[in-house]
Amino acid sequence: MFNVNITGEYVVFFIFATIIIGGAVLMISLEKVVHMVISMAAAFLGLAGMYVLLDAEFVAFVQVLIYAGAVSILMIFGIMMTKHNGEAAEPVKPLHETLAVIGALCLFGLLFYAIRASDFQSTAAFHPGEDNTLAIGELLFTGYIVPFELLSILLTVAFIGAIALAKKEAE
Amino acid sequence: MLSSYLTLAAILFCIGLYGTLAKRNAIIVLLSLELMLNAVNLNLIAFSKYGAIPSLTGQLFSIFTITVAAAEAAIAVAILIALFRARGTVLVDAFNRMRR
Amino acid sequence: MDFFAKIAWIIPLVPLISFLVLMTLGRGFRKAGVWIGSIGALGAFVLSLLVLTERLKPHAVDYSYNFSWISIGEYSLRIGFEITNLTALMLVVVTLVGLLVNIYSAGYMASDERITVFYSYVSLFTFSMLGLVLSDNLLSFYLFWELVGVCSFLLVGFWYARPAARAAAKKAFIVTRIGDAGLLLAILVLFWNMPGHALDFTMIESVFGGQGGVITSGITTLIALLLFLGAVGKSGQFPLHVWLPDAMEGPTPISALIHAATMVAAGVFLIARTFPIFEASPAAMETVAYVGAFTAIFAAVIALAQNDLKRILAYSTISQLGYMMLALGLGAMTGAIFHLFTHAFFKALLFLAAGSVIHAVHTGDIREMGGIGSRMRITAWTFAIGALALAGIPPLSGFWSKDAILTAALTQNPLLFTVGLLTGFCTALYMTRLFVLVFLGKSGSAAAHAKESPRVMTIPLIMLAVFAAVAGFVDLPWSGWLSTWLSDEVITPHASIVVIVLSIAAGVLGIGTGWLLYGRGKTTSRSIANWMPGLVKVAERKFYIDELYEILFVKSLRVVGICLAAIDTYIIGGVVKLTGAAASAAGRLGLRLQNGQVQTYGVAAVLGVVAIALVVIGRRMLS
Repeated sequence: MFNVNITGEYVVFFIFATIIIGGAVLMISLEKVVHMVISMAAAFLGLAGMYVLLDAEFVAFVQVLIYAGAVSILMIFGIMMTKHNGEAAEPVKPLHETLAVIGALCLFGLLFYAIRASDFQSTAAFHPGEDNTLAIGELLFTGYIVPFELLSILLTVAFIGAIALAKKEAE
Repeated sequence: MLSSYLTLAAILFCIGLYGTLAKRNAIIVLLSLELMLNAVNLNLIAFSKYGAIPSLTGQLFSIFTITVAAAEAAIAVAILIALFRARGTVLVDAFNRMRR
Repeated sequence: MDFFAKIAWIIPLVPLISFLVLMTLGRGFRKAGVWIGSIGALGAFVLSLLVLTERLKPHAVDYSYNFSWISIGEYSLRIGFEITNLTALMLVVVTLVGLLVNIYSAGYMASDERITVFYSYVSLFTFSMLGLVLSDNLLSFYLFWELVGVCSFLLVGFWYARPAARAAAKKAFIVTRIGDAGLLLAILVLFWNMPGHALDFTMIESVFGGQGGVITSGITTLIALLLFLGAVGKSGQFPLHVWLPDAMEGPTPISALIHAATMVAAGVFLIARTFPIFEASPAAMETVAYVGAFTAIFAAVIALAQNDLKRILAYSTISQLGYMMLALGLGAMTGAIFHLFTHAFFKALLFLAAGSVIHAVHTGDIREMGGIGSRMRITAWTFAIGALALAGIPPLSGFWSKDAILTAALTQNPLLFTVGLLTGFCTALYMTRLFVLVFLGKSGSAAAHAKESPRVMTIPLIMLAVFAAVAGFVDLPWSGWLSTWLSDEVITPHASIVVIVLSIAAGVLGIGTGWLLYGRGKTTSRSIANWMPGLVKVAERKFYIDELYEILFVKSLRVVGICLAAIDTYIIGGVVKLTGAAASAAGRLGLRLQNGQVQTYGVAAVLGVVAIALVVIGRRMLS
């Protein structure tokens, strides 16, 4: 089952996986909120690398722009605007915490079992296209034009909504 | 190779789930949510390359997901700021009442 | 011809209207309240008088009107009113005393804050009493019977700020309730046994008077005794007499109206109305006679040793009601009603005069009085007339009515006759004692500043005194006009020289003894106590009846009550509390889940998903 031959992809995957999991675990376990966000940004960058490995250059690019850039900055803004003491509060509910750990571990066990039990047989090779961005762009403006336009509306609504919510209420 | 990606995604998802359920700071909860969404994205892209029928659609879907996640993050931070003004805290266990 | 009898149903409505008006006024309109109450009483009196004059014509026919009230299947319950000579007479007595008490109260209650409320209660009482008198069947009779009980409760407890008044009101209500239960049972037994479930007095008279044997003698006696139990409760007969002396905590006009002239006479009236039932049962008649005779002498002896002005009069009332019962038991229904009629006047007079005295000296203790007679001449003279009438001195009214009863007793039962005579002696004795201690002799501690009461109080006294003096002439031993009118039979004159002589002798002897003992301040009650210490002590403590009841009923019932309360608290209450605790524990558990924390819900949801997935996978692996 684990008799993988060490290829270049495998090595790179391993490196990125270490970065991602390390970032995620640090995000969970660090004490200061800003440090958490920075470790999270590392995990996002690792994921972008993983996408490159998976022949998805455009998505990797978007991932860097939006996640590692915009969302992380947004979170840091959020932290700053909500006047943190910079420390996460001490957990006060041991039972709750334990149950959450048990739930997460059980779920992982289930997923791992499912992944192991499944047999994924690829029937054809993947063709990312000559230019991944061009291919995605063509697909987006031909087959998926309606969802694309809907998304633009969603983004506008979210944009206005965020401003309306965060705006200081008139005294 | 696919199962390695899927396992990685499962690990990420479960860490995100734990963070969402157990962390008290609302910002960290949001970050954990993003982590879970990323795990889904990783799945989508892995399937788009190694799935039964490899296709670009998986990548397209992940773009949609990222877009929605970005909108969600913006709204969530806005709500958080509004709540912080009202309650003076960002700890989620303080947000258990609809009124002050 | 009988126009006023036909509209007799208006009579109770007049006080009812004034009651409703007074109730809406509340505590305000003190002057207007007095007028509204008095005008209501006056209206009822005038109408009653018109009805009576109509009845006085020879061969007036009884008028009754009823309508169907409730129909249940085949059975239809009819209620209505009935005018007979007896009810017409009662109407006049009730409304006349009621009117005079209304006028008198304007003076007596003038300084009371709740005078309007007082008048509304009195109006309600007048309405109920008139309704009781007019009822043509036992059911509505019972309804009004309870209503007068309620009014009595309200008025005895009128000064509810006093603990004694509260206790007395409760006692009056609870003790009479025992009697009321008897009356209710009697009505139920009658209902099941009467042909056609009829409850009206006319049917009762025809069924029981006809000797048709429709109802067995056992049932008849049972009904009669149960009815008598009701009368015992209401009329304060032994052994349920204990409430009446305590009821004197109420305002004095109320004692005169309710607890002397009208309501307590309702028991006598009840027996008079259902007299055919009693006549059909010799055993019941004997019971009535002996209980009445015993009550008469028993209460008279207690009255000898009491020191509260109103309590003495209350025991006297009990004693005189016993007299009426004695007459009923001997079959002398007309004699009983005659005595009720005269007693209403002279006892109301005595109470109102006593009220006038109490109003002036602010105490009811006769040992603190004395010498009031010279300061309150009208009160003293009218009281004297009432006292002499009660003592049975001719030609005042009490003599004639007692004479009618004693004559009946002599011919039937010499023992009861002796008891009656002894009672007469005691009555004269305690009235002399009362009069001497209150009005004659040295000025007592409380009497120094006594002033005559205002005219609004003395005029009713004078009017009642006139009635007390002359009311007896309606039925002289040798003419018997009232008896003939009441019973619609020609009654042979029953004059008996022996009775007249003995009766006068008893009265005079009583007064003489009283004068010797108490006159000129020579002896006080203390010296008699030295004379026969045991008897005086026992009489002063009212033969320990209250104490006996305390031990026999109150204490034992309380023990039972404590046991039941313990069962209730610890067993039933425990179960209830356990149920409640279980529910609230379940609620608290649910509350822990419903704490508003989204993360808690999230954990629950994840665990649920995991559980479901495990179940699905487990099933797949097993199959």
